[in-house]
Amino acid sequence: MSQQPKIKVTLLIIAFSLAVVYGVKFFLGIMPQNTLSSGQTRAKGDKGAAIQITEFIDLECPACARGAEYLGRIMAEHPAEIRLELKYFPLPSHRHGFLAARYAECAARQGKFWPFHDALIARQPNWSRLTDATPAFALIAKEILLDPGRLEVCLNDKSVDALIQESHLEGERRGVKSTPTYYVNGKMVVGLQSLEPELVRLLAEIKK
Amino acid sequence: MFDCLRKLKNSRYPLSRIMIGGLFVVSGFEKLVGPYQNFLYVIQNYSFLPFFLGEIAARLLPWSEFFLGIFLVLGLWTKWTLRAVMALLLMFMGVVIQALIRQLPITECGCFGGLISFPLPVILALDTTVFVFAWFLSFRMEEAERCSLDRYLARNESA
Repeated sequence: MSQQPKIKVTLLIIAFSLAVVYGVKFFLGIMPQNTLSSGQTRAKGDKGAAIQITEFIDLECPACARGAEYLGRIMAEHPAEIRLELKYFPLPSHRHGFLAARYAECAARQGKFWPFHDALIARQPNWSRLTDATPAFALIAKEILLDPGRLEVCLNDKSVDALIQESHLEGERRGVKSTPTYYVNGKMVVGLQSLEPELVRLLAEIKK
Repeated sequence: MFDCLRKLKNSRYPLSRIMIGGLFVVSGFEKLVGPYQNFLYVIQNYSFLPFFLGEIAARLLPWSEFFLGIFLVLGLWTKWTLRAVMALLLMFMGVVIQALIRQLPITECGCFGGLISFPLPVILALDTTVFVFAWFLSFRMEEAERCSLDRYLARNESA
């Protein structure tokens, strides 16, 4: 029995399915993707650095903590070559993620985002196990000398939550599903295992 | 062709075929419409492939799931598709089992992209159940191929 009709039907179905998948990807790709202004991001490094990294981070995510430690080391070794911007992407599965982002943003509004971020990351294994992480965050705030009055006002400021949610929405629009997700010179890289070779490659290119 | 579904008295075999296929279509499609890097990250978490093979798997596996699912739903090349699906399921089960044995810190399987996620023991149970269904189907190909393109094309060919 000739298989030709069956092969033709198969090819037709494959072609149609490809059209559907790429059509959906194209449609999703042209959905408006608002980006936060740079005033809303938390950045360090030279603005003109050859390697620009935007990271969507959940401050309670252990993989993000490992990524932060790695980036801290690599940026210390190559201070002029790398710029890092953080955007909040708290995951629903991390009960303290949103609160951690709120505290971090309030620290940012007092010009102390990175000290607060570094302390959060270093102590993550401790506070992530707590039922209520508020005392741990308050302690860090006290240690880095955040103004308690301003902090209190900020923590109740709805614009902080709105900013975190907008950042999360931006990540979703870009296809972020998990953390840490990095955009290295615009290229999406998820997780430290993929980030390391990408950075090694780019740094080698810079040296040439 | 859809008339046949309404007329069937004993439709559990083709329905099982369609449901298994539907599962794979959804799983593959969800991964395909998002950036492949998300699935690459999932694969890397299972720590069983070198980096470059992980990249290849992240790009190819969703397409395999998607097309095998479509073929199963439509009942095209049913016998071979079913075998391929069973092979994929065995592979998934192997990957999950090695992750459980090594006690890897994976809380969500990543099986359906970001659509829905299950802890590893649940996904192992699900994969095993689907495999058993598929295995039973493979012994009842005659019934499984009811309401299938294979049967329709064969009938047209002989007419």
